[in-house]
Amino acid sequence: MAKDSPPDPAAAFRELVTQWERNINSVANQVMGTESFSRLMQEMQRMQLAVQQATSEAMGRRLAAMNMPTREDVIRVAEKLADVERRLAHIEASLDGSAPVAPPDASSSGRPRTRQPPVEYLQGEKPR
Amino acid sequence: MTNAQVDGEDALGARVRGMVERAIQRGVKSFQYATSGPAKVGLTPKTTLYGRGTLQLYHYKPQVDELYRVPVLMVMATTNKAFVFDLLPGQSMVEFLLKRGFDVFVIDWNAPAPEERGLTLEDYTQDFIPTCIDKVRQVTGQPDVSVIGYCMGGVLSLIYAATHVDGPLRNLVCLTTPIDWKQMGLTTMWNDPRYFDVDQVADTLGVVPADFIRQMFEMQKPAQKLAGQLRVSEQMWNDDFVRSYRAFERWGDETLPLAGEYLRQTTKELSWGNKLFTGELVVGGREAKLANIKAPILSIVAEHDHLAPRDATKPLLDLVGSNDKEEILLKGGHVSLIAGPNAIGRMWPRLERWLAVRSI
Repeated sequence: MAKDSPPDPAAAFRELVTQWERNINSVANQVMGTESFSRLMQEMQRMQLAVQQATSEAMGRRLAAMNMPTREDVIRVAEKLADVERRLAHIEASLDGSAPVAPPDASSSGRPRTRQPPVEYLQGEKPR
Repeated sequence: MTNAQVDGEDALGARVRGMVERAIQRGVKSFQYATSGPAKVGLTPKTTLYGRGTLQLYHYKPQVDELYRVPVLMVMATTNKAFVFDLLPGQSMVEFLLKRGFDVFVIDWNAPAPEERGLTLEDYTQDFIPTCIDKVRQVTGQPDVSVIGYCMGGVLSLIYAATHVDGPLRNLVCLTTPIDWKQMGLTTMWNDPRYFDVDQVADTLGVVPADFIRQMFEMQKPAQKLAGQLRVSEQMWNDDFVRSYRAFERWGDETLPLAGEYLRQTTKELSWGNKLFTGELVVGGREAKLANIKAPILSIVAEHDHLAPRDATKPLLDLVGSNDKEEILLKGGHVSLIAGPNAIGRMWPRLERWLAVRSI
């Protein structure tokens, strides 16, 4: 005789959460997948960025009046340094040639690279 | 009283006892959950082989005595940290590959600094990836390397492969890699050039903050975060579930900012121009036609991927010039394809098998 197992409230809760998540995502995706939503979202973003830009420019003018570097000035200097670093890395790479870039790593270089795949992996594979 | 009635009462009693025990555990462990620090992730032993600005190259310590000849280089998507490849012991793709004899290297990304706002596809595909491949070759002494790219890491790997036709690429694996960017669902809709002013975003912000990127991801499944919190509150008694949840939560929270110039270029060239799909993409003065790629290629895609939907990933094999090419379509979503129980049972064994016979 088949026995009825007692109800599991935890499983019911999990199922409820899954259904809720699915429904909310589905409805939200329908709303957010419309052209009007895209237009609204991007319009809000455009306004937010415009405010940010205006604030940044005003701050830049004040700093310039005080003969202080702006954030933009500091970033430009950092960009130049990054460019020097990049050029150094290229020079280093060309000088290195085929020399190892790090001290030989015994954990890797000491191990033979002769491993073969299990025979069953080769079944059905074309010869290479 | 019949036997059936006695069995029924026993089962009900056991169920009630279990519920009470779990309720007590939930209370105790909720306190631990609230007071403990972030999940410890990326624990597989590794060394940082190379680093420059946003770029990091890791070499993981091999875990078997005999290795496959060809080393593996994994390329992470530019929006997230690579510890999703090495989430937790027993839930780590890196650890899995190491235990099966691969020599594993990973390209991870730091948050781009303000002075890196000018990074472009050229930097990623003509400098960072080739530099890392050279480092891997030098350290291992091997002439060729297999590359595994995840999501945007797959796109970068494809562009690298298409622009380095004679390069030392032995095999290429693309995980959930979008090709037809007109089929990217909500992302395509929100990137509509009539409304999305990418120039304003890049020029104003320089480096686009992580919150901006994270919101774009989270808005696509707005109920996911709260549903996850409800699930973990119910499963608080289950240490494995909580550990895994916290690791994924940390990964989502640590979304990376993006260089503005890179966002501008990917939006205009890949999303609006759809040039990876049409074959018109030029990077660093080189044509990045997918037909240029001749290396063996494996594309692994997820059936329910909302970020790189099936229609966006599908065209890859038709466009590459490789003779040895295969696609594996698996159940799961964008993240569950590479990490978590689905990945462990479904994806990793298929990846290992494909790679093993091509790594000797």
